[in-house]
Amino acid sequence: MSVLILALAVVLAVMALTQKNTVPAVLSFVLMMFLLGIYYILMDEKLLGLFQIFVYTGGIVVLTLFGVTVVGAKFPKFEIRPWAVAVVTVVIIGLLIIPFILPPIPYEGKVIPLKDQVKVFTDFYSEIAIFMGVVAASILYGSIRMLHTLKYEKE
Amino acid sequence: MVGFYIDAIFAIILFGVGLYGVTSKNDFLKIFFSLEILLNAVILFLASAAYHFGLTRGLAIAYVIIVIATLEAAAGVLIFLLSYRITGEIIPDKLDKAVSDE
Repeated sequence: MSVLILALAVVLAVMALTQKNTVPAVLSFVLMMFLLGIYYILMDEKLLGLFQIFVYTGGIVVLTLFGVTVVGAKFPKFEIRPWAVAVVTVVIIGLLIIPFILPPIPYEGKVIPLKDQVKVFTDFYSEIAIFMGVVAASILYGSIRMLHTLKYEKE
Repeated sequence: MVGFYIDAIFAIILFGVGLYGVTSKNDFLKIFFSLEILLNAVILFLASAAYHFGLTRGLAIAYVIIVIATLEAAAGVLIFLLSYRITGEIIPDKLDKAVSDE
């Protein structure tokens, strides 16, 4: 069952990126997100599944559909970039090889106790500072870039 | 344990699909879809790890990723609407060119 749902999600993801019209692409995207939400609920992560369905198939898709109503029904034509396929193949093979290189997981079949889990934002407040710094820098860069664009548009 | 590997393999494939979209597509909408697929691949991996190993901290990061994805979606739609207003198309290269030409 899980394999079927995940395989369907991958197929829908590919369809969302290969459709020539915008609305079928958005529908494939919605279905993919909905299937992933269902999968999380089946995995007993009910809150995450509901979050996924509400946020993605609700909020984000409504935003996207609003964009589609402005942009139109057709995607612009694009040139195929062969190097992209090569890059993606290398990355996928690299990621698939990692489990064979790394030592086996010491907690196989057991639940990892909370004290042994990787600590995030608990011991060092500097981590939070770095994270917030990165977020602030991104927002600053985006704002400056947007102001620059708007300035040129007005002139 | 097998279930985790199945989930991990599908997460890697989804990540690859998203990466292909980000590197090869040239319109904002498909790049936006690809970014969401990339984020969802990570969420799938974290959720699977949480289910199979009890990694509750990973699950917390998954919630943070969903919130960030929402913000990113709002910003992304704004950018591609702005691009459409300026250039009449949703192609990032043309927006860059239009800004640099002026």
